[in-house]
Amino acid sequence: MAQSFPYTYYACDCFDSNTTTSTKRASQVVAAAAATEDEEQTFDPQNPRSNYALYPLEHLLYCEDCQQIRCPRCVLEETLNWYCPSCLFEVPSSVVKSDGNRCTRNCFNCPICISPLVVNLLENADADQGTPDRHILICPYCHWSTLETGVEFEKHTGVYAQLARIANGGKHIPTSKERDKERERRKELEARQRDSKNPLSPSSETAAVETEAREPPSRDDLFSNLAAFYKSQLEAQTPANPFSPGEMNFSSPSAYSRIMNLYSTNTAKKQKRVKPTPMREAASELEGLVIYDPASDSAAIERIKRDGWNSTLSPTQKLAQTNPHLQFADELRPIPTLLCTKRSKRCRSCRHILSKPESKITSTRYKIKLLALNHIPRLSIRALPPTNPPIPSIPGGSTASQPQPFNYNTLRSGIPTHFLLHLSNPLFDPIRVTLATSSTTPGKVQSRVTILCPQFDVGANTDVWDDALSSSPAPMARRSTINAETGQIEAGKIWDKGRNWTSVAIEVVPGFLADLKNVSGEEDGLDEDDDLLEIPIFVRLEFEADVHAEERGLSDSRGSKAERESREQAFWTVVGAGRIAGR
Amino acid sequence: MSTRPNPPQKRTSLLPKPKLLTLDPTVLIAQHAHLSGNNPITIGARTVLHPHCRILSGNAAVVVGAGCVIFERARVGMGVGGMGDKQGTDTVLGKNVVVETNGVVEGGEVGDGTVVGVGGVVGRGCVVGRYCTIAASEILPPYTRIPDFTVVYGGGQQRVDRTLEMRPELVESKMGLHEKQLDMFQRLVPNQVAKWM
Ligand SMILES: [Zn+2]
Ligand SMILES: [Zn+2]
Ligand SMILES: [Zn+2]
Ligand SMILES: [Zn+2]
Repeated sequence: MAQSFPYTYYACDCFDSNTTTSTKRASQVVAAAAATEDEEQTFDPQNPRSNYALYPLEHLLYCEDCQQIRCPRCVLEETLNWYCPSCLFEVPSSVVKSDGNRCTRNCFNCPICISPLVVNLLENADADQGTPDRHILICPYCHWSTLETGVEFEKHTGVYAQLARIANGGKHIPTSKERDKERERRKELEARQRDSKNPLSPSSETAAVETEAREPPSRDDLFSNLAAFYKSQLEAQTPANPFSPGEMNFSSPSAYSRIMNLYSTNTAKKQKRVKPTPMREAASELEGLVIYDPASDSAAIERIKRDGWNSTLSPTQKLAQTNPHLQFADELRPIPTLLCTKRSKRCRSCRHILSKPESKITSTRYKIKLLALNHIPRLSIRALPPTNPPIPSIPGGSTASQPQPFNYNTLRSGIPTHFLLHLSNPLFDPIRVTLATSSTTPGKVQSRVTILCPQFDVGANTDVWDDALSSSPAPMARRSTINAETGQIEAGKIWDKGRNWTSVAIEVVPGFLADLKNVSGEEDGLDEDDDLLEIPIFVRLEFEADVHAEERGLSDSRGSKAERESREQAFWTVVGAGRIAGR
Repeated sequence: MSTRPNPPQKRTSLLPKPKLLTLDPTVLIAQHAHLSGNNPITIGARTVLHPHCRILSGNAAVVVGAGCVIFERARVGMGVGGMGDKQGTDTVLGKNVVVETNGVVEGGEVGDGTVVGVGGVVGRGCVVGRYCTIAASEILPPYTRIPDFTVVYGGGQQRVDRTLEMRPELVESKMGLHEKQLDMFQRLVPNQVAKWM
């Protein structure tokens, strides 16, 4: 994990708890028991699975009903609304369904470098002679513009609609109705040709001449031809359904299975029930069939020879296009901006909402936001330099008097190093904390770890002024000191304490990297990040809290006041204390 | 690259260098613009030097063409007061070149109408063509040659600005806008050129 030292990650056990609850069958009880035993074991930050369980505290949510941490893996997301990140207009979900997930106003991204395009007015020298203004989309960063693909616009608004009608080079893109008409016309023409000709004569020169004259059909043409062909096939074989509207319905299961029957051979055999006769495949260009033409490849090669690599596209540029089969820069289309969503998050087990943004697009505030950092104590670690004054007179004085920054990247093997574990409490109730860790860290490089004061109290997160205004400062808890002669820190005492925080010392003896190399006898005995000193720490909290809000309402009506319940919470954390020096 | 002259030195030794300085009478030099070096500096008509820009001729001569705009904290040329390495390359900016804030042109030639973006660096001995754009924070390594109408963007990628190349009228309108900007600077920025004459 690449982060600057020191850091703390919190483990969400949602995966493990899911597996134990799902293994309910009698045959798997043993396995479940084994799994629970697994949980008892030390959390291993080196385990590949841990990558999916560890999160910084800031990334976690908290479910108040389950009283558990919720990570991105154990929340459900719901889309609240769709909006364009460029013009900040909300797009109704019905429009998203019909028009797709792109902005249909004026927002486009550059097909070369993806920065947002701007609409520019072309200088109009003949404006006084009544020539209308022309507009283009231009990239302010890489200077690509629609002029390079021969597209100009008449108006500076509604660019999406205008672009839908203009092909590259300024040609008109037919609408679907025009396409239908044209297809009918050509079908009739073909039929007439077939009738007029003697079917035995093999000459088809006229047809060949005609196809040569025409441009190869565009992707949109082929799609509409194929769609029309399927529609006609479905209509021909299904009795007219009085309930179905004129619109073709591909999504009906029977239509879908018939279309898919085209492509599958074995499923048709397996099913004994008589299936509706499979549809005929598309047989001509007018039915959406496109025949591979090797000449197009050689033309492309010739073009690369002539124009060089600069005229071709990178895979990223191709994939960003609506048609990812483009090859050359002059085929590029501006990319309509992808819409973004605002989402609410729910707890996966109790479905309560954990986070919900305000639905107004321009607002970045949240209606509901249950963050883990408001419910879970923050555990942090920092080095305690050996030159530290024994007893800091003021809280936080230990860092102020630090002579030079501690280098977390060169921990010395075998030399006891002291760190401070700092636990701050966001709750309004005092908590009792128990920290636990195994005596050696898991993994190949075994470092010895001792928490010098594993059990301690942390004060409540009361008003900052309560502490300052209280006339008699609370008698300070026992503080541990460093023995001047041995350099040892007294065990069993906390290091320092404040209003809602407590820090305790932890002694770490980093393991040896070199030994391991010798033992394994290989050069590559160590993997990447094996020299990380990551300490798994199990945190258990006990505290008394008010009974749940709604339950308290009930109890109030019964007359009893301020009912308290004791709660317990436990989770694994991993603190990254540094990196062990190689030598 | 970021060797800044010592403030006391700037005050005392660098001001009296007018004999190697050739200024067009229409040049606009703002307060705190900084010109220094032992080699000749030539600045063309209507060029605008913004405050805290630096024209350094410590290693080699600097020629700034007509209608150029050198923005704040930009640097043209190299060598502070004779420091730095001996083998300098002359710096020649063409007409209407814009070096934006923190941009650096360390010797070499920059063609007419080229823009060096914010924090862009044109290394020593580069030859940059006409109407090129060096996008913000792009670095041209020394002795790079860039043809006309090139855009350097996205971490060293290059492409030809075919829009400008195909449409000479767009180049014209772009230069028209540049002229308007020069006029605006003439009206808004107090001219301290007398100090350097
Ligand atoms: Zn989880
Ligand atoms: Zn938009
Ligand atoms: Zn671009
Ligand atoms: Zn829940």
